[in-house]
Amino acid sequence: MTHLAIEDVSVNFGGIHALEGVTFELEAGSIVGLIGPNGAGKSTLLNCISGITRPTRGRVRLGGAVLSAMSSAAVARQGIGRVFQHPELVAELSVHDNLLIACHLSLEYGLLSELLRLPNVRHQERTAAAKVANVLASLGISDSAAARVGSLPYGHRKLIDLGRAMLMDIRFLLLDEPIAGLNDSEISRLREILLGLRREFGLGILVVEHNMPFVSGLCDRLVVLDLGQLIANGPPAEVLGDARVMSSYLGEAADA
Amino acid sequence: MSFAADIIRASRPRTLWSWSAAMIGLCFLLAGAAPLGVNGYGLYLLTLTGIFALVALGLNFLTGYAGQISLCHASFFGVGAYATAILTQKAGWPYLLSLFAGALFTTAIGAIVAVPALRLRNIYLAIATLGFGVVLQKIIFEWRSLTGGGGGLALTAPSIAGYELGANGLYYLTLILMTAGLFGAWNVSRGRTGRALLVIKDSEIAAGSLGIHSARYKIVAFAISAFYAAVAGGLFAYLVRYINPESFSAGLSISFLSMVVIGGLGTIGGSILGAAFYVIVPELLRGIKDAPGLIFGLLLVVVMVFMPQGLWGMLRRLGRRPLR
Repeated sequence: MTHLAIEDVSVNFGGIHALEGVTFELEAGSIVGLIGPNGAGKSTLLNCISGITRPTRGRVRLGGAVLSAMSSAAVARQGIGRVFQHPELVAELSVHDNLLIACHLSLEYGLLSELLRLPNVRHQERTAAAKVANVLASLGISDSAAARVGSLPYGHRKLIDLGRAMLMDIRFLLLDEPIAGLNDSEISRLREILLGLRREFGLGILVVEHNMPFVSGLCDRLVVLDLGQLIANGPPAEVLGDARVMSSYLGEAADA
Repeated sequence: MSFAADIIRASRPRTLWSWSAAMIGLCFLLAGAAPLGVNGYGLYLLTLTGIFALVALGLNFLTGYAGQISLCHASFFGVGAYATAILTQKAGWPYLLSLFAGALFTTAIGAIVAVPALRLRNIYLAIATLGFGVVLQKIIFEWRSLTGGGGGLALTAPSIAGYELGANGLYYLTLILMTAGLFGAWNVSRGRTGRALLVIKDSEIAAGSLGIHSARYKIVAFAISAFYAAVAGGLFAYLVRYINPESFSAGLSISFLSMVVIGGLGTIGGSILGAAFYVIVPELLRGIKDAPGLIFGLLLVVVMVFMPQGLWGMLRRLGRRPLR
């Protein structure tokens, strides 16, 4: 099984060490929580994995492919999905169309066929629309398919952003604070979806989240960052019992 | 599969569909019969509207969808005009072949211009494309042996398969090519390229996370829009029968951009309305003594202030009201 390897990754922003020598692995089929106080470097690490930020030192590897040398689009093509903290959706388009955008990689027609809308284009577009309908159903938001995304509540938009990743035929999923802004029923639906993705597709999931009960209930393993350094990596019970973790982190955000 | 189709269909009432189909049919009927009802000057204006609409449809890919400003489209229009004229007149190629070859040549120039433009956005991109436009115009001016320089090129009526293309013929050719351009634009707007361009306008980070190479699609948008502009240019050359570098100035580029914005950014119907507005309204104002330019300028301000979605957005809002 290939796994996502973060190898000695450091990032400097003009003298500030956002990450220093971080090393850990994300296996296929595992759910790992990435926790730490604000400014610990969690989002920077996600950006390094998805090709948005280049590491100053070290690399991110998926099997033989060095992701940290690729553009973000090339990383996505390797099967790494990213769900942003604030959903990056096109507000003026419908929910259905926003999800259709995520089918980009599975549509394989050329520009000329597209201009003429040849039968193969129509066929592929129909298949994509059917996939979108399935994802809408599994997210439980089929009713809002035709609604303009900008008119929907924040929680719905976050689910739609996750829906995009589900349409992308990914092997690993990176989530940045997925439950912030969700209500209780949306949170439990999200949990079921993530567990389902792991069960059905063997997806490896890396989730940044401040909500401790959610993270410790969901994850097989927790990785703790503090001031850019990895200070703990292990099963939730063990990590949360660690004195260093307690002092650096839990005093600050356990109430989140 | 039918589920998704149901969702899409449900979002648009049936009445609206048949209503739009009837409107489109009526437009084509009117456009087809137009040469019977207007004089020579009227036909010239209608042809010019079709030509400008073609440019606007192309520019809409770049500005309306991908969100990139271009101030060099008059030059793409000019390169298309000169390439078509030179191939037809000097090389003796058939007119339609020259038109197509000239457009492909200009498409390549559009793609080349796009490469350095990739690093720039907003006002910086506008200034850089303004520079490209000036360079292209200057090349046309200086390459006297080929283009006739500042003296311009006078052209004779083109012919297709032995038939000389008069004013009516050119009007119908423009109508056919504009319809083809409209069809292509509509297809792209509901295909993967159109969606990719919309995401790039919104957020390049989001585009990357979906596996969309922003740079590649911006080049595609520049190239397609240059193709449209060049076909329009090749028609324009034979509408006016005389071209010189002055005809393709930055002022015309600004007019093209205004057509897309006035009509409604990112809307296909808007590109056509915008072109019609630009050609027809100044003619209607011509009767007003001394003040047509002033009133046209004020009208542009009024449209932008009261119809931020452009003429098309306004029309759509009006059209929907009674149906709900």
